[in-house]
Amino acid sequence: MISRAPLAWSVAGLLAAIALPWYALQEGLDSGAWLGGLWSSEDYASGLAQTIEHGKWWLAPVLVALVICLATALMQTRQRRGTLLLIASAAGLLLFAAQALGIGLRGWSTGWLTTVFGELDSRQVGLGAGGAVVMVALLSLLSIGLALRGGFGGDAFVAGAVTTVAASIVLFTAWPILRILIQAFQDGDGLLAPALLVERLATEKIWSLRCLAGGGRCGVAWNTLFLALGCGIGTTALGLAFALIVTRTSFGFKKTLRVLTVLPIVTPPFVIGLALILVFGRAGVVNQFLEWSMGIEPTRWIYGFQGVFLAQLFAFTPVAFLVLIGVVEGVSPTLEEASQTLRADRWATFTTVSLPLMRPGLANAFLVGFIESIADFGNPIVLGGDYGVLSTEIYFAVVGAQLDYGRAASLALLLLVFALGAFFLQRRVVGTGSYATISGKGDSGLPTPLPALARRAAAWVALPWAAFTLMLYGFAFVGGLVKVWGRDYTPTLDHYTKAFAVERTADGLLWTGAAWNSFWTTLKLAAIAAPLTAALGLIAAWLLVRQRFAGRSALEFATMLSFAVPGTVIGVAYVFAFNVPPIEITGTAMIIVLCFVFRNMPVGVRAGMAAMSQIDRSLDEASLTLRGRAPQTLVYVVLPLLRPAIVGALVYGFVRAVTTVSAVVFLVTAEYELATTYIILRVINGDYGLAIAYSCALIVLMLAVILLIQFAVGDRRLGRRAVALKGGRA
Amino acid sequence: MSVEFQNVVKRYGAATAVAGISFTVESGTLVTLLGPSGCGKTTTLRMIAGLELPSEGRIAIAGRDVTTLGATQRDVSMVFQCYALFPHMNVLENVCYGLRRSGQSRDDAARHAREGLLQVGLKDYEARQPSELSGGQQQRVAVARALVLKPSVLLFDEPLSNLDARLRRQMREEIRELQQRLGLTVVYVTHDQQEAMAVSDRIIVMNAGRIEQQGSPRDLYERPATPFLARFMGESNPARGLLRRLDPATVRVRLGDCEIDVANATAADGEATVAIRPESIAVERPGAAGVNSLAGTIAKTSYLGTHMEYSIDTAAGVLFAICPHVERALAAGEPVALRLAPRGVLVVEG
Repeated sequence: MISRAPLAWSVAGLLAAIALPWYALQEGLDSGAWLGGLWSSEDYASGLAQTIEHGKWWLAPVLVALVICLATALMQTRQRRGTLLLIASAAGLLLFAAQALGIGLRGWSTGWLTTVFGELDSRQVGLGAGGAVVMVALLSLLSIGLALRGGFGGDAFVAGAVTTVAASIVLFTAWPILRILIQAFQDGDGLLAPALLVERLATEKIWSLRCLAGGGRCGVAWNTLFLALGCGIGTTALGLAFALIVTRTSFGFKKTLRVLTVLPIVTPPFVIGLALILVFGRAGVVNQFLEWSMGIEPTRWIYGFQGVFLAQLFAFTPVAFLVLIGVVEGVSPTLEEASQTLRADRWATFTTVSLPLMRPGLANAFLVGFIESIADFGNPIVLGGDYGVLSTEIYFAVVGAQLDYGRAASLALLLLVFALGAFFLQRRVVGTGSYATISGKGDSGLPTPLPALARRAAAWVALPWAAFTLMLYGFAFVGGLVKVWGRDYTPTLDHYTKAFAVERTADGLLWTGAAWNSFWTTLKLAAIAAPLTAALGLIAAWLLVRQRFAGRSALEFATMLSFAVPGTVIGVAYVFAFNVPPIEITGTAMIIVLCFVFRNMPVGVRAGMAAMSQIDRSLDEASLTLRGRAPQTLVYVVLPLLRPAIVGALVYGFVRAVTTVSAVVFLVTAEYELATTYIILRVINGDYGLAIAYSCALIVLMLAVILLIQFAVGDRRLGRRAVALKGGRA
Repeated sequence: MSVEFQNVVKRYGAATAVAGISFTVESGTLVTLLGPSGCGKTTTLRMIAGLELPSEGRIAIAGRDVTTLGATQRDVSMVFQCYALFPHMNVLENVCYGLRRSGQSRDDAARHAREGLLQVGLKDYEARQPSELSGGQQQRVAVARALVLKPSVLLFDEPLSNLDARLRRQMREEIRELQQRLGLTVVYVTHDQQEAMAVSDRIIVMNAGRIEQQGSPRDLYERPATPFLARFMGESNPARGLLRRLDPATVRVRLGDCEIDVANATAADGEATVAIRPESIAVERPGAAGVNSLAGTIAKTSYLGTHMEYSIDTAAGVLFAICPHVERALAAGEPVALRLAPRGVLVVEG
């Protein structure tokens, strides 16, 4: 493999440079029109033709680098070949990046390059197939070079995987976020103006604290923070109550509570907001009842902080529960028993042993609640009313009448700072000590029952809350089945037929429903994104857990960091980064798929890392010493044992792609409209019936997909004992 | 020469796990890496396997430089401490795994795997899942899985540590028997000194990332070069004694009131640390021991069925002694006289 791989990649790169159009084509690669103009047409020309025929001399060194890489295939000594390969491919990549970034639509992309080199009357559009393949080939050659020199355990596959994951994170997460930074400092003409950032951010509208003094409104930054703090604390407290009830009491309906954890995964985030409108809105049942019984005028009470806060609390408590249940179960019963034998009663044990052991989990749950809240776009836009938060403000800056990219970037930067602030704060709290109490040793102790006081408190808070959550989902479901909520409760399927009508005509089936277009687009893009998300996430997890290489902790940090970046920020960042060369994909389906993949990959990474750290490392090593190379080890040993994690990553990749709003709201076009953005627009127009009907259809579809994937991938086959993962020891 | 290490160093960040070691393993021998936990022996083994690559130095296997090669590209295979049987494959699939990865056809691999299972006495177990086997059987499957690849070097990483004491003796005899029957080159890691002595042709004792001493089991036990070795290879009592050279091959060691003539060619005159093996101390009643004896008082006694263990206060410090005469056990507080056998008195420093 080692000897043939550099040859194969150099040839592939050179072929792409000769026989594929270097730049992106307006009409796409599949039209085939480019075949005739590969040499002569400046639009269609290959890399080689561009260099020789069309005066793009700066491509020449990149191609020369590829030729040098090809020449190394003739060399004998491993070490020296690796060194030359490394130097040639690294130089090629650097030159590639330099020309791609340095020369844009209008010649040199920045002023100082023009001053140094003089005017350039040539221009570059976005990269096309040829350029992309050459870049991939150079990256592969670089990793082979590193492996030949003994890097990455001498394994070219590992080296390739590391470079792939790292390069894609740099391209599709780090670079867009960097672009936001740049954009925030630029004025309308693209000139750097640091003072502008201060001007944009230091306004009343963002920082005013008038609401505290009574009267007036607070700035959107404070609004966002108040909401996020409330949501973080609220969801953590409620989630803990649920987790304690499920693990530490003899409460009878534990299964029902578990169902609550699935709901938010399959639900678009604004559905709870919609349901709240049905209950508390002007035409909601509560207002109507009050008007009917006591003649109280319906109010718009739900619109504003209260509404968004309630909706987020309902929507994200199950997430906190999901985080905390693992933590509560992870507290070793033996430690609690030890505490009790040391004269501590149940209450003292709970407060001095159990709770402190849960501290990292609590910090984690808070972080999740906090970040979900500041990233949430659907609920604030549905219920916020005058209560603006950063995510909605950014949206209006980009799509609204203002069309102020600089302002959008500055606000996104602020949002990013909040998210990262919470992220680092959480790492500080958790970083002070590891409380991992699940060990390989058998733990035969029994979980200590909750002290009576804590049990009563948990039950009184959690159970009514759970009932109310289920009721809201019920309302959401019923809301799609009546004519006009609040006025005419006649049962009807009108909303469903309006969305999903199919007519049989002479030409076959005609999908006349209003929702079909966005529905099929969503399914198609999510289906493309899910396997990519799962594959990239699991490979990254495998690298992080199983391989040791220079920069491992940096890579881990980067994946974790992108978990903390709010979707709104990613969306805006993608718009800024990918609407100009070298990567020009705004308005395509590709940018939406990429956004799905890199937005959801961290979840796959975390799931994969958790699953992989349960599988004894020596299994991989056994395979390696048994002549199984890294890719074979991955395929024959790791993946079969990872089936549940694969299912998880696929489901997450798909479901989150379907239900996400915040990021893609900036990326959709009339051609590529998605289900969630379509629903949001219906809600903004007040068409609740259709929106609810569509949401319910999505929820049902998601549940079906989860079952289907579960069925298709199946369980891992471990023989008699399903839990005997530790090297097969019984 | 099957394995050759030249000045190999392994660092993890600032920590040095292996601090420059050189050794060779001859073909057809069983060499043990022995040392306390954290001494670098497992790291060394993993560097032979290619699971770790050295930070400095050179490693050759069967004459080929493999310093930068990964595990897959080396002609070695390994038996892991926890066996590392793939839980999603049955016994035959586990043993076939390496053969299939080396490019053998399904039938060839199965045939060779069955031969391997026959070698370790597990002919009828091929359809079982690993979880359906006892610890000893899992161990044998792991050995068969490594063996069928006919590697230049077979590596064992503490293979017996998960077995109970009785099975441990049986398995180590089986491993030794298999190694000698098939003429295998084996590198074996353990922290158990008795296990090392029982199976090895040669032992390399490591401590704090360095090689402390290497040699045959008898060499190491009878001629330990350092106090660490005297302590680690079997039990020994450290004591301070006065040395005086009698002739080029002999020194006289004075301990309290007694003098012992010990074979030693290097030690200089003066005070030195000596190590006294507990089994070489004969515990006698005062008067029965003759003039050249060390007087003492029994401090503690333990009855262990096959022998007695005594702690004895003497002028040379508290000595721990093992005495086979359980029928005439002594009680705490009794005065005794100790006779020291010269071959059990080791000059380790000075």
